[in-house]
Order: sequence, then C-alpha cells, then structure tokens
Amino acid sequence: MSFRQFAFGLTFTFGLAWVAVVIVPFFMMRSLEPVPFTEIADGKEGIYHPKLSGRVVNGAEVYASNGCYSCHTQLIRPTYAGNDLGRPDWGGMKLDEERGDTRRESNVFDYMAEDFAQIGLNRLGPDLSNVGLRVENDYAKGGDAREWLLMHLYDPRANPKRSTSTCPSHRFLFDEKEIEGQHPDAALAVASPEGTAVLPTAEANELVDYLLSLKRDDAVPASLNYGPATKPAEEKAPAPAAAAEPAQG
Amino acid sequence: MSQVSSQAPEADAVLRSEIDRSLRHPVMFFFTSGAAWLAVAIFLGIISSAKVHSPGFLDGCSWLTYGRVQPAHLNALIYGWGCQAAFGTLVWLMARLSRQPCRAAGIILTAGHVWNFSVMLGIIGILAGGSTGVPWMEMPVFAWVPMLLSYGLISIWSMVQFKVRPAGHVFISQWYILAALILFPWIFATAHILIHGFSGSPLMAAAVNAWYRSALLFLFFTPTAIAAAYYLVSKVTGRAIYSYSLSLLGFWSLVLVAPWAGMQKLTGAPIPNFLPYLGAGATILIAIPAIAVSVNLLKTAAGAWDKVVNSPTLRFTIAGVIGLLVTGAACVFLNVPPILRLSQFSLSGYGFDVLALYGFFSFIAFGMIYFVVPRITRREWLSSRLITMHFFLSIYGVLTIALVAMFGGVMQGQAQEDFTQPWENAMTYAYPYAVASTLCWCILLFSNVFFFLHLALMWLRLGRRSSHPTLLGHDHHSSLHDSIHGPEGDIDNAGPGSVPAH
Repeated sequence: MSFRQFAFGLTFTFGLAWVAVVIVPFFMMRSLEPVPFTEIADGKEGIYHPKLSGRVVNGAEVYASNGCYSCHTQLIRPTYAGNDLGRPDWGGMKLDEERGDTRRESNVFDYMAEDFAQIGLNRLGPDLSNVGLRVENDYAKGGDAREWLLMHLYDPRANPKRSTSTCPSHRFLFDEKEIEGQHPDAALAVASPEGTAVLPTAEANELVDYLLSLKRDDAVPASLNYGPATKPAEEKAPAPAAAAEPAQG
Repeated sequence: MSQVSSQAPEADAVLRSEIDRSLRHPVMFFFTSGAAWLAVAIFLGIISSAKVHSPGFLDGCSWLTYGRVQPAHLNALIYGWGCQAAFGTLVWLMARLSRQPCRAAGIILTAGHVWNFSVMLGIIGILAGGSTGVPWMEMPVFAWVPMLLSYGLISIWSMVQFKVRPAGHVFISQWYILAALILFPWIFATAHILIHGFSGSPLMAAAVNAWYRSALLFLFFTPTAIAAAYYLVSKVTGRAIYSYSLSLLGFWSLVLVAPWAGMQKLTGAPIPNFLPYLGAGATILIAIPAIAVSVNLLKTAAGAWDKVVNSPTLRFTIAGVIGLLVTGAACVFLNVPPILRLSQFSLSGYGFDVLALYGFFSFIAFGMIYFVVPRITRREWLSSRLITMHFFLSIYGVLTIALVAMFGGVMQGQAQEDFTQPWENAMTYAYPYAVASTLCWCILLFSNVFFFLHLALMWLRLGRRSSHPTLLGHDHHSSLHDSIHGPEGDIDNAGPGSVPAH
C-alpha cells in the first residue's frame, strides 16, 4: 500500500460518508417544502401552517446553557422507535376537552423557531415536547401556569406531589430583593427574610416563556404522522376505552 | 512491526534518545497537563453524577448546577485529558516511527499551551453559564477556533516527519496516526462550522452533532489508541504483529464503517429516515474492526504472556485492547433495534462514552505514558505498587461503568417504555445505576491519585536514576534485595531477556 493509495483510500472512504450523511442532508434540510393536507387522509385540503408562538430563542438559550438537555428530551418518537406516544400527556393530551386525543409524534416544523433542536441525551426527567400543554391542562389546572413553573424551577421538591423529583433547584435564577410597601405580584410564594421577596430574574421568565411555548400538538397532515396514537377511525369513537390502546410498532 | 535499521545498534540508540530528547518538553507537557485535566474531569464527574441521585448535593449554586457540571465534566475529559493524551502519543510515536528528531518542539509546546488555555476558558465558560447547549461542543464559541489552529500547529510537524522519513516500510501504527491526524480537523471543523456558522435546520444541526460525537470517538480516539497499542504490544513483547491481513482488515473496516455512524442517537426524529438506520448499522459494524484489531493484538501478546503480567505498559495496553473488544460488543448490543429504543435516552449513552473513553482509550494512553515518560525524563518509575494500585482500581471503575452502560441503561429504558406505569417508575429503575456511576468515578479518583502522584514525581525529575525498569511481577520481587524494583536490565520496559528495544 503506497502512501498515495492510502491517502486516496482514506479521503474517499471518509469523504463519501461525509458528503452523504452530513453535507447533503444538512443543506437539503435548510429549506423545507410546505406539506399539504389531503382530502383522503385528513379530510380537508390546504397547506399545513405550523403553529408559532412568539419569541422563544432567549428562553431556549437559558435552556441550553443550563444543560436541561442532559436529563430532558424533546422528541416524541414514532411507534416504531419507542412507546412515547403511549403516555397520555407526552405527545399531546390524550383527553383534551375540546379536541379529543391530540397526541402525535414530533415533526420537522416543531423545531423551526430554534437554532438547535434540543433532542436531549437522557430521560432522567420526562420529555418536554409538550410541557407547556401539560402544565396548563394538568399540573397547574385552574391555577397560574407561570407561577407553577417558576415554583418548580425554584424548588422542584416543594410540591408534595413531587417530593421524589431529582430535578436540580434553579434558585440561582431568582433574586432575593428588598422591598418596601406592597408585596410585588411577581414574588414567589416562598419563605424569605422579613422585608424581602423572591423575584424571578429575566432569565427565569424567559425560560418559563420558552417552556410554556412547548405545545407541539397541533393537527398535522397524516403524511407527517407515521404512527398516530389514535387512528383517525378510532378518534371518532365515543368510548374513550377505544382510544386507550396506543399503537405499538 | 520490528524495526529494520541500517545503522549500528549504538547509532540507533543515539538516534532514539535524540528523538526523545527533542520531544521531551511538549510530550511531557501534554501528558502532565492531560493528567491534571483528568483530575478535574474526575472531580466534576463525582459532583455531577452524585447530583443525579442526590439532587440536593451542592445545589443552589449556579456554577455547580447539574446541567453545567455534567457538560464541563465531559468536556474536560474529552478535550483536556483525551485530546492531550492523544496529542502526546501521536507526536511522540510519529517521530519515533519516522526516525526523525522533532525540530519544532517550541512551536508544539506553545500550541499546546494555547490548546490548554482555550479548553480552560471554555470550561470556565460552561460553568459560568455560557454553554452553547450542543453536546460535546458546549464550550462557548470563542474556544473552537484557537483549538483548531493550535491543533494544526501541533499536528503539522508529524505530517512533515512522515513525509521526510527515510524510505522504507510504513508501520501499521503510522496508518492509524495519519488517519487520526487528518480526520480530527476534518470532523472538528465540519461540526463546528455547520452548527455554529450556518443557520441550517435545527434538526440537522442536532444530527451533525450526534455524528460528531461518534466520529470523534471512532475516528480520532480509536485510531490513536490502536496506533499506540500496535506499537507498544510489538515493541514490548519483541514480537512481530500476528497477522498483516488482520491489520489491513482492522484499519480499512474502521475507516469504511465509522464515518457513517452516530445519527442513530436521533432515531425517531424527523430527519431523513435513512440517517438513523445507517448510523445504527454502522455502529453495529464497528464490532468488525474492534474484533480484528483486538484479536490481532491479543494473538501477538499471547506468545509473551509473562511480559503482559510484568510490564506496566503492556498490562495497561492489553487491558485497553480488551476494553476495545468490550466497546465493540457494546456497539452491537446497544444499537440492535430491540435495544436501541431502550438505550437511546438512558444512562447507556453516557456509560458507553465513558467505557470507550476510559476503558479503551485511556487504558492504552496510560500504557503509553508508562512507556514514554521514563524515556523522555531518563528516570524510571518509582514504585510498582503505585502502578498496580492504579491498574486494579481503574479496572474496577471501568467494570462498574460497563455495568451501567450495558445493563443499567437498558433497565431504565425498559421502565421508560412501560407507559402504563407513572413516569417516576423509570427514575426508580435508574437510581441504583446512577449511584453506580458515582461509585465508578470515586473508584477512578482513588485509582488516579496513585497515577497523579507518580507522574508528578516523574515530572519533578524525582524518578529512579537507574537503568533497569520498574516491573510488576511477583517472581521478580522475591529474587531481589529491593523488592520494589525490577531486575537489572535494559532501559526499555521490556523486561529481562527481551530483544534490545528500539
């Protein structure tokens, strides 16, 4: 094996894979084709318009820089790759009061507003693809979702229902400020020395904005939904038991 | 891979010591500062993995929150220890194998300082809250350009040395060194430029990142360690490599398969479907080079088993080769379709990284350090007991993390998949294995205390002034007045009765 053969072989074997799995997919995925609804599969015509929810990049930065992706994923896998759709509140809400079962797998438009898709490394905590939905419809039902999330960030184990949570406390995203007169509305309901209040910093508010924006359950064309949690036929069935069995790949 | 020399043995020995002398500052710098970073990585590893099962531990301080300590820990392990140990190995090996003293030691040393400084600022940046949130690339964006440039200055001289080497055979180690030297900047620059430089699809950025993590492991750390293993095994045993065909198979199957691996970490994500499939398939096929290389090396060493037992270098290297075999087995086990869905988002990912980085790469790097440091400091290691402690405790640590990777992660994944149970159930299953990874880092801390102490003494030039190497076997102890030291012999670590080493 001469050096020329060696260098050619190395460049070719590595270069081929580099072009095929890195360069070409990266640049082809930069521009996405709009996805249409079809009469047969979806029962309606038109283009799917992904739901956008305001500015989230600041909060996504706080999420990234504090390493939330070490324990939380943001990916609802199709049924061939995992049972994520089986959980009643991960891919959407199984029992959404208005829309029925909204669970669906993640699609390419879900991550559009961000610079880097925080797929995540481990699931020491639950998936956060729909955490905004979950907090509003379940955890903080009837209460203030923002306040619930801020409290959770401040002390994840303060909530008696979550005494075994292993989420780290993010007290450093809050300031203990001296106050005079009226107690500020934004203050957290936690004990603090007389004449002070615990207030969320801008970072904490941005992070909460971002987390509350995570509602990836809008109705998508069937072509984006490989293995829906509920088949369209079952969706119309009145008995919730019919929808209880999720598809398993 | 026995070296054929046209020169007389004395001239040859002079050339070797000239090469060692020319490289003593940069190589010693890479090894000692790498070891210091290993210490940092181990401390951060203990803190971060303790937080997984005891979230109250050191909490409330922004610098020490899990989401910052964990990335800082891995970055210190990869860029502080791993890369620097690899640089020292590559630079020294290429000079020896190309039979060229290094003429740019000052530049390499300076570039090494730049690398170190960038990594230090980068890791402080992560802890201070400047992390980019891109796994294995968390250091703030200011760090990667100086790292890449200093890498260029470190590696270019090795390529020049190869170019101007005396005509003759190219050693197997040299293929691997060249592959590592050429592919590192290619992989590193690709990932950093695409992710930080282009506003592409956020999902493909994540996929490129997954590819980067895999490629760095399999196309930089793996070839570096294999280069060192081929050199050390044949050198210390004094035997020719068992099979040239297996060497060829091992090399080309690695460079053919490894570049496709990695994106299986995004299985189920909305990226083109063939990418995760290819990634899983390629990662499974990594077993082929792993088996080819380790069988080749174990067959070579099998003829001189007493030396494997007695020589610190060889003992660490062979343990690392077995680590390669285990890593190959883990590649298959964790990525076959029924297991991938369990291991994808569990402790297996981290466990596998540590298994490959420590159980395989670091063991061989330790073997290399035990071989090279006496030659460049012209002192022998002080104590065989320190080396033995380092060895066995490291083995226990690696066995613990292998258990976490192969068994714990899958148990955790099994509980995650059971959607009829509440989510807390999955954490309950992960708990004992989270404790086990803390235990692993505590054992590795103990283990490396012996190594750091020993290396620091050598660095202070307090090693033994002797011409006989430090060996480990019991049979040597009993026959000597000073049981700590090995018998009189050649300065090379090969033990008595070996062929004169080169």
